[in-house]
Amino acid sequence: MSMLLSGRAVGASTVKLTRREKLWRALATNARQAVSSLGELWRTPVWAFVTVAVLGVSMTLPATLHLLVKNIQQVSRSYDQSFEISLFLKNEATPTDIASFVTILQGDPDIAKVRLIDKASAMAEFKQQSGFGEAIRFLDQNPLPDVLVITPSQNLPSAAEDLLQKLEKERFVDLAKLDISWLERLAALMALMQQAVYTIAVLLLCAALLVIGNTIRLLIMDKKAEIEVMKLVGATDAFIQRPFLYTGVWLGIFGGFLAFLVIEFMILWLRAAIAKVTQLYQSDFVINSLSLAEFGVLMAIGTGLGLFGSYLAVRSHIKAIEP
Amino acid sequence: MLRFDQVSKGYPGGFVALDKVSFELQKGEMAFLTGHSGAGKSTLLRLISLIERPSTGQVIVNGVDLADVKVKQTPYMRRDIGMIFQDHRLLSSHTVFDNVALPLVIEGFTGREMARRVHAALDQVGLLDKARCYPATLSGGEAQRVGIARAVVNKPPLLLADEPTGNLDPDLSKDIMRVFEAFNQAGVSVLIASHDLSLIARMRYRTMTLKNGRMINDGLLHSEAQA
Repeated sequence: MSMLLSGRAVGASTVKLTRREKLWRALATNARQAVSSLGELWRTPVWAFVTVAVLGVSMTLPATLHLLVKNIQQVSRSYDQSFEISLFLKNEATPTDIASFVTILQGDPDIAKVRLIDKASAMAEFKQQSGFGEAIRFLDQNPLPDVLVITPSQNLPSAAEDLLQKLEKERFVDLAKLDISWLERLAALMALMQQAVYTIAVLLLCAALLVIGNTIRLLIMDKKAEIEVMKLVGATDAFIQRPFLYTGVWLGIFGGFLAFLVIEFMILWLRAAIAKVTQLYQSDFVINSLSLAEFGVLMAIGTGLGLFGSYLAVRSHIKAIEP
Repeated sequence: MLRFDQVSKGYPGGFVALDKVSFELQKGEMAFLTGHSGAGKSTLLRLISLIERPSTGQVIVNGVDLADVKVKQTPYMRRDIGMIFQDHRLLSSHTVFDNVALPLVIEGFTGREMARRVHAALDQVGLLDKARCYPATLSGGEAQRVGIARAVVNKPPLLLADEPTGNLDPDLSKDIMRVFEAFNQAGVSVLIASHDLSLIARMRYRTMTLKNGRMINDGLLHSEAQA
């Protein structure tokens, strides 16, 4: 490494190092710089905390939105399972026709369940629930059709749609109806919301990146004299940069962890309120918190942000400082 | 060890800091570089330490033409040159030990080997007992000696000093010069820029005088020059 070897009696670079020793030295240097960067943060706790807080907040918001979307998806998935096709049968179908039709349908592998609501019971139910009881008595015949309620064996909207088209062509079927349009609308809304979440996340993460970059830039300016001296005694740019990169990584890790704590606390706080609501609706909905994988992603994003933000600052500013 | 060949350095705006300067410093030689402020002493040292590059001419250090040293190689080049500054440039947030250890840390030394070398360097400048002190608690002379210890800790073959006694009283200056003499006797080439003519005259070493960027005298400083 030395350029003037011959003149250097016992210079460091004249000592021959094996590859393992070199690796060991590099690791030792890195570990020392990582730990001293952490110590540096510890010496300026207020400054460090403010940066970590900004990072934490800018990661908390998108992560919370992500959780919201995830939980709504969970709810809507339970609705997805309630596809039902209503078959309104033609008037001319006799009870025998209907019975044989039901038997045929029950043999169809695409159909999980067939339920018959015949004219008479439909009428009885209508009388009871509609409040038109007296008026209906004046009708000379029952206008309601026989209805078959079909549950498809597959829970996919597309499968239900296919089944619908097949059943529509049956001889006794007057009208087949599958009410999934509101589910489709919900799915579209969810997709829109998910995209909005991602957009907001990207914007906030950009802001976090700038905050880290600026923090590191101020740190570099603060250590200008030190950097000059290090350059004068022969430190490479990489050596000077590394502590700042480690500082960025530490900030990112702490910011990510702060976001995680805030989210967990928020869920803990909301859990009781949500339990009350779901109890009133007699639903067994339980709010989902971050999974281990999502926690990992959160920490990885934090670390990545810290590293990239500090890299942006370091790349331009360290080079600019010359003795 | 060090050779300047018709070296000029001009700055934008037409100011010429060095004008066709040529000289050679032998291996193990000690020499002074003198002249008024602005005569080009600092510029000359800055050319050797690659802080600046010459406009024309060649600077050759131990057979290496500095024009061939790429920007990326500059740090490695500087590790072979011990530099001492008038304001000693110690890091105030680090102890004396850490300051002296800096060049070794940069080269990847660790643990006992590093401590041994730092203590040896501090011992050579007589400040072994101050290792745990912070620079702010040192006197001017002590701080300068720490600066010297940092410059020699990785045993460079060439020492450059820019006004090392500029802020010191005559007695302390003499002490510092003795430290340089000791390193010179151990085989290190030493080039000291100073305008302290009386001190230089008493030391009786080769003296190069710069005036307005030109080398006007190279040799022993005559006593009449002190006037």
